[in-house]
Amino acid sequence: MVTLGNLSQSAAFITALAAMVLLLIGLMRNDLRFIEAGRRALFAVAAFATMAAFALSRLFMTDNFQVEYVASYSDRALPLFYKATSFWAGQKGSLLFWAWVLSLYIALVAWNTRRETTRKNTPYIYLILAGIVSFFFLLLITVSSPFELLPFMPQDGKGLNPMLQNPGMIFHPPTLFLGYIGFTIPFAYALAALISGRLDPDWLKKTRRWNILSWIFLTIGIILGGQWAYVELGWGGFWAWDPVENASFIPWLVSTAFIHTSIIQERRNIMKVWNMSLIVLTFLSCIFGTYLVRSGILQSVHDFGATGLGGFFLVFMIVAALGSFLLIAESYGDLKTKHSLESLLSRESTFLFNNVILLAIAFSTLFGTMFPLISEMVTGKKLTVGEPFFNMVNTPLFLLLLAITGLCPLISWRKASVDNLKQNFLLPFGLALSGGILLFIFGIRELYPLLAFTLSLFVSATILLEFIGGARARKKLTGEGLLLAFPKVVWKLRRRYGGYIVHFGIVLMVVGITGATAFKLEKEVTLQRGQSMEIGAYRLQYNDFKSYQDRNRTVYAATLGVTKNGKPAGDITTERRYYINARQPTTEVSLRISPKEDLYLTMPMIGNNNEITIKAAVNPLLVWGWVGGVFMVLGGIMAIIPAGSRRQTA
Amino acid sequence: MKTFQILTGLLFFLVLAVTAHALTRSEVEKNLICYACPGEALNIDRCSGGDRMRAEIDRRLALGEDKQTILNFFVQQFGEDILTVPPQKGFNLVAYAAPFVALLIGLVLAGLLIRRWGAAGRSGSGTREEDANSEKLYREMEDQVEDELKKLEDD
Repeated sequence: MVTLGNLSQSAAFITALAAMVLLLIGLMRNDLRFIEAGRRALFAVAAFATMAAFALSRLFMTDNFQVEYVASYSDRALPLFYKATSFWAGQKGSLLFWAWVLSLYIALVAWNTRRETTRKNTPYIYLILAGIVSFFFLLLITVSSPFELLPFMPQDGKGLNPMLQNPGMIFHPPTLFLGYIGFTIPFAYALAALISGRLDPDWLKKTRRWNILSWIFLTIGIILGGQWAYVELGWGGFWAWDPVENASFIPWLVSTAFIHTSIIQERRNIMKVWNMSLIVLTFLSCIFGTYLVRSGILQSVHDFGATGLGGFFLVFMIVAALGSFLLIAESYGDLKTKHSLESLLSRESTFLFNNVILLAIAFSTLFGTMFPLISEMVTGKKLTVGEPFFNMVNTPLFLLLLAITGLCPLISWRKASVDNLKQNFLLPFGLALSGGILLFIFGIRELYPLLAFTLSLFVSATILLEFIGGARARKKLTGEGLLLAFPKVVWKLRRRYGGYIVHFGIVLMVVGITGATAFKLEKEVTLQRGQSMEIGAYRLQYNDFKSYQDRNRTVYAATLGVTKNGKPAGDITTERRYYINARQPTTEVSLRISPKEDLYLTMPMIGNNNEITIKAAVNPLLVWGWVGGVFMVLGGIMAIIPAGSRRQTA
Repeated sequence: MKTFQILTGLLFFLVLAVTAHALTRSEVEKNLICYACPGEALNIDRCSGGDRMRAEIDRRLALGEDKQTILNFFVQQFGEDILTVPPQKGFNLVAYAAPFVALLIGLVLAGLLIRRWGAAGRSGSGTREEDANSEKLYREMEDQVEDELKKLEDD
């Protein structure tokens, strides 16, 4: 398997290079046979990459600890499920995973464009993609092979970090990678359009689903990461503005901006330079995230430390950035828009402002992440920039973004009149303001939470009006009842309404995050058996303690009786686990979730005579944040369901 | 219009309301890094070094010290890199100002761009052919929506 893995990686690299050579010859000689051969070679790259991935999986499954990577991230006691997912637990395996998925994506592009090889831009798309995948395989075969052998065969492996033995963590890295990698495809289409001079919105239309699908994966990855942090790390939060978390958030922000303005280019054929720049920035920010995780330049609980790959990714980023922006500069004359807006007050304008705010948040997140390095370079002092800083700087920007999310649907495409705006604006504004006043009366007096909830009401009202408006229009057109017209219009115009569902998901997320950060209650108390503690409406009484062996871990479990508002509400058990081969114990989070609030418990310490320290938190409304995440993903999926799929299944 | 102004005025007063609340350990923890685990915020960390810092925070909270006094104590002990929030002085001010400066520049540029596009629209600097194409595209999309609605009816 080791030989198969090594050979497959090398073969994938050589084949990717061969594809590039064939494509270049085809382009120089204008010979379709070479281009077709180059296209077919891309399938071979995917096949070899799949063989390498299979070899690594097999090595994990068979406990081949002579392979240094397997020994570092697995052991005999590790459940089979986690053995399979240890593939991407470390730097080397995740790099192979990246190259493998990219090669599959490329094969999919090569298959989908099999009848388009005569188009001027298609060979360039292949060439760029082959170039990018060959870079990843070059790293794998030269400096970061997961198939390296130890000079001896250890009895057992070091095991998988216990904190990674969580379902959320199994899917979090691959979904993030699927997002990061997916943006390579629109990037390649954009560059190919620049090189070939085919600057019409065709590349945008062709990559629309890639963009949204990658965005969906990135969204799922980020949400799963937050969920993992919440249920596994035991500190009671879900987002710490850690450098690596930020590295995933920056491409999300830039790609969100890109998805919005690409709609304008599709509709109006304007903002071409802007969109080209945004897709380049999205791709670069994805690579930047990889660079950050693998370079060791910043300290993070998530990074792989200094892996020796930082320099390679830095050079790759510089080359990609210079090449892309030079191409944009060269085509600037052709890209420069000749179209115009009929009115300053139009949805196009609000999209541009929405882009500015999204990019400002991306910039502030990037700047804050890099500030320790900048500060060290300028002043010689290394600082840390953590959660409170990002909350302080980004919260006003997020609120501004939320406001414009509500304003956007109220303003028409092309031209909106002030009277029309007033007519659309007054009802949601009135509703939001009334809600805000009620919230104020009911005791929400802090500025940001009050604004966040009021703006959430405003955005919800505008979305609701959009749905009602659509259903009414259909009712008028078809004579159907409103209840029938509503789902029909939503399904028929799913791209549009999918977007609104995403927006509603964001509103729910804002509500969840605001509730759980602004109104969170926390308490840490040491209890003897029989003693109790109180937090919010809850009273927790320490009733029982036991220890037992479970698969690859020893478990210490404390059971507490819960009383809410004086009424018994069952028991809750919280655990502390000691994993075999792990150097430190882990705390297992116990949760009681309700629409109103989460009761969150961990047991950070066990003392003499089974004395326990309980860290308890009450996180109001947080569940709505996760529900919002589901809405965002569903809305995104809805927006990319192809037209006519219903008929095919019929 | 008057109703609109009254509503806006009310909103303005509403957002000015800010209340104070009692200081908790977690609010202090968030602003500190564990001295034993560089880069890890104290509210996330669970090591014994962090436990010593937490115990010190509890002791000082019990003495009635405010957040800044407690943070100052840790800065004296470990230096400014024990803080998760850079102090608002000297070069650090760049970190606080840069995002808003970037936003301001972005908004001004976007405003200028929209104004230019608007001016082009009013003066009709776009060619007739382009305007016709744009109009055609828009009409096509509208037709497409209507076609889809009609197809749905047929289904």
